[in-house]
Amino acid sequence: MSRKPITRRDFLKVASAAPLAGALIPSFKGAPPAPSAAESKVRVVLVRDPSPLGAGGAPPAEVVQKMLDDAVRALLGETDVVKAWKSLIRPDDVVGIKTNAWRYIPTTVEVEQAIKRRVMDAGVGEDRIAIDDRGVLRDPVFQKATALVNARPMRTHHWSGVGSLIKNYIMFTPQPAAWHGDTCADLAAIWELPAVKGKTRLNVLVMFTPLFHSVGPHNYAKDYVWEYKGLIVSRDPVAADATGLRIIQAKRKEHFGDDRPLPMTPHHITLADTRHHLGTSDPARIELVKLGFDEGILI
Amino acid sequence: MSDPESPDARRLASYIPVSAGPWLSEADQVYDAEGIFEYIDGAGEVYRSYNMGLLVARRFHKDGKPDIVVDAFDMGSSEDAFGVFTHDLDGESASIGQGSVYKSGLLSFWKDRYFLSVYAEEETPETKALVLDLGRRIAAAIPGTGVEPALLKVLPSGGLDRRGVRFFHVHSVLNYHYFVAEENILLLDRTTDAVLAGYEGEGGGAMRLLAVAYADGPAASRALASFCRAYMPDAGDGRTVRTENGKWTSARSGAEILAVVFDAPTEQRAQGLLESVLSLAGARATGPAR
Repeated sequence: MSRKPITRRDFLKVASAAPLAGALIPSFKGAPPAPSAAESKVRVVLVRDPSPLGAGGAPPAEVVQKMLDDAVRALLGETDVVKAWKSLIRPDDVVGIKTNAWRYIPTTVEVEQAIKRRVMDAGVGEDRIAIDDRGVLRDPVFQKATALVNARPMRTHHWSGVGSLIKNYIMFTPQPAAWHGDTCADLAAIWELPAVKGKTRLNVLVMFTPLFHSVGPHNYAKDYVWEYKGLIVSRDPVAADATGLRIIQAKRKEHFGDDRPLPMTPHHITLADTRHHLGTSDPARIELVKLGFDEGILI
Repeated sequence: MSDPESPDARRLASYIPVSAGPWLSEADQVYDAEGIFEYIDGAGEVYRSYNMGLLVARRFHKDGKPDIVVDAFDMGSSEDAFGVFTHDLDGESASIGQGSVYKSGLLSFWKDRYFLSVYAEEETPETKALVLDLGRRIAAAIPGTGVEPALLKVLPSGGLDRRGVRFFHVHSVLNYHYFVAEENILLLDRTTDAVLAGYEGEGGGAMRLLAVAYADGPAASRALASFCRAYMPDAGDGRTVRTENGKWTSARSGAEILAVVFDAPTEQRAQGLLESVLSLAGARATGPAR
């Protein structure tokens, strides 16, 4: 079987995200080297459960709690889930759980409450925990937050390629639209703003019912949603997003029968790594731990 | 949200029925180009890239049934109404307005300077019929007829995939339809008109023709130089190159027009198409396309 050649369009797709942005076509020398054995990898946990999803798009609450607990234990190498959370959250923290309230595929109450329960188990009083999306700049708990947990679903997006964990912090900016330039290339810079910088303790990318293709003004059609029944959990938002993106792209290949790229390039994920150094986007530098059932796992 | 009582909003709202069978409408939501993000988040950038003026959104509800949403955009010009319609052509023609597609509960069409989306949150035989009926009633209520962008006249007709023609302004939308480069090497912006079309290539495979109208000749020449420097530095003065997939890419400018052919089966086919474009551009009438 013949292999499709790498064209200059392929090269120009990655050139601006490469460490030497602007490199010319003749300097193309193929894929970057694999990390050395001594180079540490970023851990990402993908957990899936086959339980049926409820009307809101999530598995039953107790299943979600177990998925989150299993993922956090595996992520931190700790058998006791409360101990694991205590290594993330201090009792004197003020904690904002940044959720996503998109009408069609929200973070889900089940995920929000599973996180909140463990934050409380870590010793934080309920009055020092808030769950919010669009109101974070006005929320008194978020205004005083010393720790953030970032939780949202991944979906394709008409402008940024995908709605990602990185993008979820756009609501911490007074003018979200100001970050839309070059199809949201520099969303990772939001993570340098005082409201969020250095505060994120955990990232939870919800993959219960991802959207793998966008249509219409509302970006949504039921035909392009599938039941993946997963959560991706990591300390590194870029690594979690890069992993979620691989799943979305694999689903697109399965559905469309070809390697068609996302309509808008999700380069904000790669650039979060190469330009903003927020985390790791290269799969070769990600240790992916898979838990639960693997039917239809795609990666 | 914007003022629902403004004359433009009231006119646009008047084209939308207040009921759809037993579905009743809720209060309108009206957004301008600055406020659209409140409604559809960053997806609003697509409509802003086509210079949208106003959006009237009306939701129809019936207990126990999927909602139906009408999003009516006043794009300010029929050219941009046509353009934003061509952004997503997935689906079958519904013969509504001046161009329409329907797929999976989503009807899109344009008429005059308006772009309409009628969307059932779940497609059933009942909601499909209502969506199409709403579309027909809205199209009938819009009195005017729009014109397609004049730039379409530079497209040679032989072998043209007429239904797949895209009209746009900015490079991110070009990349949406046909990825060229991450960087804006064609120097596109909201003031440039661009059209992308597919042509049958002899011997199999499709080739793409991109034509861009800049403000003036020097701007087109600068864009040509920028494109050649970034995309085909190996092409030399002939501005034609055989790319890694064995096909031909060629670029030329004339007057305010830059034209690029991608993936032509032969060098001659690429150059022939460019000559036709520039010839048509020279003969282009000042009036809009019909």
